[in-house]
Amino acid sequence: MKDLLRLLRLFRPYTLWMLAGIGLAIVVILANVGLLALAGWFITAMALSGLSGQLIEYFTPAAGIRALAVLRTGGRYAERLVTHEATLRLLSALRVWFYQHLEPLAPARLQYYRGGDLLSRIRADIDSLDNLYLRVLVPTAAAAITVLLIFAFMTVFSLDVALVDLAGLILAGIVLPLATQRLARRPGQRAVAIRADLRSGIADAVRGLGELRVYQAAANHAAAIDGLSRDLITQQRRQARISAQSAGLSSLIANLSLGLALVITIPLVAHATISGPDLAMIALFVLGSFEAVTTLPNAFQALGETLAAARRIFEIIDTTPEVVEPSHEAPMPATFDLRIRGLRMRYAPDAPWALDGIDIDIPQGGRLGIVGATGSGKTSLLNVLLRFWDYQDGTVEIGDVALRDLRGETVRAWCAVVAQQTYLFNTSIRQNLLLARPGASDADLCRALRQANIFDEILALPNGLDTFVGETGTRLSGGQARRVAIARAFLKDTPILILDEPTEGLDAVSEHEVLAALETLMQGRTTLLITHRPQSLTIVDRVIVLSHGRILGTPPPLQSTAVAGATLPQILYCGTTR
Amino acid sequence: MAEPSAPLSRATGKALDAWLRGYAVRVRIPLTASVGVGAFGGLLLILQAWLLALIVNAVAIEGHGLDFVRPWLWELLGVFAARTIVTALTDVIAFEAVARVKLDIRKQLYTHMAALGPAWTRQQRTGDLTTALIDSVEALEKYYGNYLPQMALAVFIPLAILVFVFPAYWVAGIIMLITAPLIPFFMILVGKGAERLNQRQWRKLARMSAYFFDAIEGLTTLKLFSASRAEAKVIAQISDDYRQDTMAVLRVAFLSSLILEFFATVSVAMVAVFIGFTLYYRDMRFLPGFFVLLLAPEFYRPLRSMGTQYHARMEAIGASEQIVKILDTPLPPRNPARNPARPTPPEIPALHIGFEHVGFAYEPGETVLHDINFTLARGERVALVGPSGAGKTTISQLLLGFLRPQTGRISINGADLRDIPDDFWLQRVAWLPQRPTLFHASVIDNIRLGLSVDVRAVRAAATLANADEFISKLPHGYDTVLGDRGQGLSGGEIQRIALARAFLKNADLIVLDEASASLDPETSALITASVEHLGRNRAMLVIAHHLDTVRRADRILVLDHGRIVEAGNHASLLERGGRYAGMSALYQEAGA
Repeated sequence: MKDLLRLLRLFRPYTLWMLAGIGLAIVVILANVGLLALAGWFITAMALSGLSGQLIEYFTPAAGIRALAVLRTGGRYAERLVTHEATLRLLSALRVWFYQHLEPLAPARLQYYRGGDLLSRIRADIDSLDNLYLRVLVPTAAAAITVLLIFAFMTVFSLDVALVDLAGLILAGIVLPLATQRLARRPGQRAVAIRADLRSGIADAVRGLGELRVYQAAANHAAAIDGLSRDLITQQRRQARISAQSAGLSSLIANLSLGLALVITIPLVAHATISGPDLAMIALFVLGSFEAVTTLPNAFQALGETLAAARRIFEIIDTTPEVVEPSHEAPMPATFDLRIRGLRMRYAPDAPWALDGIDIDIPQGGRLGIVGATGSGKTSLLNVLLRFWDYQDGTVEIGDVALRDLRGETVRAWCAVVAQQTYLFNTSIRQNLLLARPGASDADLCRALRQANIFDEILALPNGLDTFVGETGTRLSGGQARRVAIARAFLKDTPILILDEPTEGLDAVSEHEVLAALETLMQGRTTLLITHRPQSLTIVDRVIVLSHGRILGTPPPLQSTAVAGATLPQILYCGTTR
Repeated sequence: MAEPSAPLSRATGKALDAWLRGYAVRVRIPLTASVGVGAFGGLLLILQAWLLALIVNAVAIEGHGLDFVRPWLWELLGVFAARTIVTALTDVIAFEAVARVKLDIRKQLYTHMAALGPAWTRQQRTGDLTTALIDSVEALEKYYGNYLPQMALAVFIPLAILVFVFPAYWVAGIIMLITAPLIPFFMILVGKGAERLNQRQWRKLARMSAYFFDAIEGLTTLKLFSASRAEAKVIAQISDDYRQDTMAVLRVAFLSSLILEFFATVSVAMVAVFIGFTLYYRDMRFLPGFFVLLLAPEFYRPLRSMGTQYHARMEAIGASEQIVKILDTPLPPRNPARNPARPTPPEIPALHIGFEHVGFAYEPGETVLHDINFTLARGERVALVGPSGAGKTTISQLLLGFLRPQTGRISINGADLRDIPDDFWLQRVAWLPQRPTLFHASVIDNIRLGLSVDVRAVRAAATLANADEFISKLPHGYDTVLGDRGQGLSGGEIQRIALARAFLKNADLIVLDEASASLDPETSALITASVEHLGRNRAMLVIAHHLDTVRRADRILVLDHGRIVEAGNHASLLERGGRYAGMSALYQEAGA
C-alpha cells in the first residue's frame, strides 16, 4: 500500500486527467444501468396508463431514455480518450522519473543485478506500472463510487433491496474475485515456474541441439520438454476451471440478488408502498448494477502484479548512490599526472579487498600497462578512477587534486574509455559518434574514423555514417565496433585514456588493426592499458602485474622482437621481481 | 499495454486464419460441445426473461401478490442454477480444445525444430524460437477458447432471440434485424483503417520503449560521455511526442467502438420507446412488451463483444505467423535411401575418414565449400585454419552429419556417411563446439547428458578434463545446478565441462572447435594439456583459432573462401612461405 501511495504521489501533476477519466467511467456505467431501468419503468407506466386510460406525461421519460443512450455512447468515447491521455502522460512521467533516479546509481549499484536479468525485469515492471491507471485505478475507483451511488438511489425505494443489492455487489465484486485469486494462486505460481523451466529447456535445446545429438540426449530432452508442456497444461486447466466456476458463481450472485429483490418488492407492490412501474425499474436496476463490478476481478489481478512491480522498482531506486559528490569542487589541475598511494577498495564491508594497497605513478602522457588474471583487480581500479565506485583507504590524485574533491562528471569528462564491452546505441553510427562530441562536423567525424582505421569500412556500409547499428551493435563485427569506440575516444579528445582489454576477443588481424589505431590515439595522453595480450604491452612504457588486488611486480617493458615465440606466462613470470 | 504486432498483409492474414481454422477441425468435438452448451445457455437466458416478464406482469399489471407468482419464482431459481452450471461448463469444455491445440502445436514445433537440426538452429535467435514455442503458442488460447466459440454463439444467440421477438412484437424484430448487420459492417469498415493505425502506433510504442531501454542499458556509456543527464530530457521529449501522436490516432481509432456502442445502445432505446407507445395505445399486451425489452440488450451483447473477439483473432493470427514460419521451413533432404538396409557397420576399431571432392552451399548458387579433399584416421590430427567465413565450421558440421554435402562424399571406412544412420555415426563422435552449451541441470547431468553412467565415471572424466577441482569447490559440488538460471561458470570452466563430456564418451573421433576468446594463461595451459590427452589414440579434427594448437597437427588445411589453399604440416607450410607463413608471422608478433 505504501508503494501505491508513493506511485500516486508521483502521479499528482496529472490528478485532473486521472479524475476526469474516472468520472467519465462512472457516467458510462450509470447511464447504462439507468437506461435499462428507466426503460422498464417507462413501458410499465405506459402500459398501466393505457389500460387505465389515465394520461401521463411521457415526454420526459422518453427523452430521458434517448439522452441516456447518447450519454452512454458519447461518454464511452470520451472516457477512452481521457483515460488514454492520462495513461500516456503517466507513462512519460514514470519513465523520466525512473531514469533520473537510476542515472546516479549507474553502474555501481546496478552491477549487483545480473545484466540481462535486470534489464528484462525493469522492462516488464515498467510496462506493468504503465497499466496501473487504466487497469487498476479506473475500474476500482469507478466501481466503488458507482456502487455507493446505486446503493443511495435504491434506499429511496427500499432499504432492504438496497442492502441486498449492495451485499450482492460486494460478493461478486470483491469476495468472489479475491477467493478466486486465492484458489488460483497455487496453480498460477506452478504454471509460472513450469513456464520458466520450459523456456530454459527450449533455449537449451536451441543452443545445444548439436550436443544433444552427439551425446545421445536428444530423445530424453524432447521427452522432458513434452512432459513440461503437459504439466503446464495441467496447471492451466486448474486455473481455467477455477475461473470458469468463478464466472458461473458471479452470474449466480447477480441473478440471486434479482430474485431476492423481487421477493422483497412484490409484497410492497401489493401494499401499494411501491408502484408497478417501480417494480420493473428495481428489477432491471438490480440486474444492471452488476455491470459496475465486472471489471474488478481483472483489476485485482493487475493490482497484485503492479504492486510487486512497484516494489521492485522502488527497491532499485531507493539504493543510495555509491559515490558522494563533493560539495565544493576543486579547481582543475594543471597537469594530468596520476598518483595513487596505498589504495584499498572493496565492494561491501564484508567482501575481500578488491584492491589492497596499490601504488601507481603515471606522469602526464605516460603509458602504463596492467596485466593480471580475471578477478585480479584491474576493473576495480577503473571503477575507482572513473568515480563509479568509492575507495576506502589511500589517496588518488590527478595532478595535485584529490580525486574525492572532484565531481564524477568532471573526472569522466577528462577520460576516454575503450572497453571490451563497447556499448553502441541502437541508432546510426553518426549518432553514436556524436555522443562523444555533440555538434562535431562531418569532417571531424571522418577524421576520427580515419584515425581509428575504420573510415573505409564505414564508408562501404550501405548508408555510410547513417547506417543503423542494430541491437547492441550487431551489424558491426567485434573489431569494427571496437574501432568505432576508438573513433569516439579520438572525438572526445581527453587528457586521460583508459583502455580496458581493447583487443580482447578479436582475431589476430583485427587485433593488429585495433592496436595500430590505439597507438595513434595514445600520443600525448596519460594512458592506462589493461590487457591479457603481450602484443598490447609493446606500446606502453611500463607494466605492472596485478594479482588479488596487489601489485605483484613490474616486469620491464617489452620489445616487439622479444615477444616473438614467447607465451604470456613466460614473459610475465620470468621478468617479475617479487 | 498489449504486445505490439507487426501489421500483416491481408493475404497473409487470410492464409494464417485458414491455418488456424484448419487446426480447429482437429478439436471439433470439444469446440462443438462448448458451442452446444453455450447455445443451451442462450435458450435458458430467453426462458429467464420470459419468467421475469410473467412475474412483473402478474404483479405490476394484474395486481397479484407473492403467492400467485411463487411457482414462477421457484422456476426462476432453477433457471439460475442451470445457467450457473452452463456458464462454467462452456469455459471448461472450451479449455479442452485449447489444451489439445497447445500441446499438439508445441510438440509439432519442437519436433520440427529438432529435425531441422543444429545447422538450422545456429542461424536462429534463441529468443525468437523460445518465444514461438512458448508465447506464440499461448497466444492461440483465446482463438480456440474464446474467438471461435463466441463467434458461433454471436450468430446463434441473436437468431434465437429473434425467433422469440418476432411473434411477440414484430416492430422490435425489424429494428433488431436491420441494426444487427450494421454493427459488424461498420466495425469492419472503420475497424480496418483503425487497425492499421493502431498497429502503426504499437510499433511506435515499441520503438519508443526500445529507445528508453537502450538508454538504460547504455547508461554507463552515457555517463562516460557526460550525456546521461541530458538524456532524461530526450526521453521526456520522445514520450511526449509519442503521446500527442498517439492521441491523434486514437481519436479516429476509437470511432469504431463509438459506432458499435451507438447502434447497440440507441437500438435498445428505440425498442423501449416504441414498446412504450404501442402499450400506451393498447396495441399490444404488457407481457410480450416487457419480454422483448428484456431480450433487447441480450440481443446486442454478443455483437458488442465482437470487438474484443476480433482483437483476440488478430493476436492469434500475429502469433501464428511465427509458428507457421517455423513449421513451413522445409526439412533438409534426408538420406536418399540408396541403401535402406543398414550398411555394414564400421564396427572395426580402425577409423578412416575421407572427404572426397566435397562441395556445399547453404543457398543454391552460394557455394561455401568447393572440392574439399582430405583424410583423417585414428591417431591423426587435422587442423583447419583460415579467416572466419572460410568454411571451417561448415566442414565440421558436415562431418557431424548436421549438413549433407551437395557434391562429393564423406566416406567412413569406405561407406558413404549418407548411408550411415545419424545415431549410429554420432555414437562414435565427441564434439566440443566453440561455445559449449550448459544445460539447466546439475553438473553431473551436464557431463553425462544422454549416457547412463554413475558418479564415479563422471568424476573420472572430469578429472581428466582438469575440471574435478573447480567442480568440487562449487556450492553443491557435482549436484550444483548450472545454466542460465543456475550457477554461472567462467569461459575456461565451461570449456572443461565440455572436455569432460568428451572424455566420458570415449569416442573414436573428436571434433574440436576452439574457443576464440583468450583465457588467462593458467586455464589455457590446463585446457591445452587436457586436449592433448583427449586426442591421444583418437582421430581429431580441430578448428583452430590459436595457431599454437596447430603446430602439433599432422596436417594443417588452410582454408579461404571455401577452398583448401594450402595443406601440410607446420614446418612444411612455414617453409613454403605462403599464406600460413604470413598468418603465423602476424600471430607470432601478436604473442600468445
